[in-house]
Amino acid sequence: MHIYSIRRIVAESYPILFVCVLIGLFAGVTLHRSLDRIEGTLVVMMVPLLNGIGGNLGSILGARLGSALHLGMVEPRLKGEKVLKGNVNASVLTSIGVFLFISAIFFAIAYMWGVGFIGAVKHALAFFLAGVLLTPVIVASTVAAAFISFKKGIDPDNVVIPIVTSIIDVSAAICLLIIAINIVGV
Amino acid sequence: MPRGMSIRAIVIQGLSILLLCAFIEFGAGFTLKGMEERFALIPGLAIMALPLLDLRGNINGALASRLGTALHTGVIAPKLKLTAELKVNIVASLILSFLASATIGALSWATGVVIGVTVNVVQLMAVAVIAGFISGLVLALLTVFVAVFTYLRGWDPDNITSPAMATVGDFLTVIFIYLAVLLVG
Repeated sequence: MHIYSIRRIVAESYPILFVCVLIGLFAGVTLHRSLDRIEGTLVVMMVPLLNGIGGNLGSILGARLGSALHLGMVEPRLKGEKVLKGNVNASVLTSIGVFLFISAIFFAIAYMWGVGFIGAVKHALAFFLAGVLLTPVIVASTVAAAFISFKKGIDPDNVVIPIVTSIIDVSAAICLLIIAINIVGV
Repeated sequence: MPRGMSIRAIVIQGLSILLLCAFIEFGAGFTLKGMEERFALIPGLAIMALPLLDLRGNINGALASRLGTALHTGVIAPKLKLTAELKVNIVASLILSFLASATIGALSWATGVVIGVTVNVVQLMAVAVIAGFISGLVLALLTVFVAVFTYLRGWDPDNITSPAMATVGDFLTVIFIYLAVLLVG
């Protein structure tokens, strides 16, 4: 008796991947137009990085929640779950740490780019705040996707990462556009 | 999660791998820019490249996530031996790579038609399937290796495997798309 079956993995994963591809194609075409206004600025460099880090943060939390749900260490509910709280806290801390660090790097890059000290601070602040704005989106979408799939009898390991990375791809660009336009003024 | 995983350990492992991945992405960003210019040679490829990269991350992320659970629950032993459970996981990933890559090829063609880009559908499908399947195979094996290796080192594979594979995957997939373009175009 196998625990895993090819049929189940494929049947659970394919529909979600299909939806993700549609979102990706749609976002690719529509976001491209909005991103045109930041073309040629440093902000355009921030988009893939924010996407990547955001997706990775969600993937780590998703993978840990998947394991914890399978092991019975976390029940799919929000109240009184200590292990869940610990996991969420760890993810928020990691998120703040990594966004702070990368902001510092963007400060250096922007300064060398020749935007001046104030300009470099603005760039660093824009990346950090976009990351801070994105963090609750990452945590909420990951926990929701893990709990809902588990309750429905779907293996969270199969679906959480695709769902979360798709949500983040779209929301990271939006967070960055909102913040960058208001702070950096591009 | 198990083995007394503390918040401290999660943050340290998570931060280390995320910063490492971010640095690789900084570097990859510049190298890949050059290759992307070649993508203009096949119309429609620009539409397809991003979903294809996302797909790689998603299929391997899910594989990594399942392997993390399987290692924690003892369903898969931390050895580089092709057991039945491991084989099911790898084969399922490869089938998904094939099906979803072909889907991307077809949908990119449809998108191209809608936005008015003339696209050679056979060429596009061929690039999608060749690049998708070969990178899928290479990355599935790498994923198993990374998951088992991190577990043996006493790290939580859930913290390491999917970010590591998403980053390496982006890199390798662009290279395989590039090679597929040279082969088909």
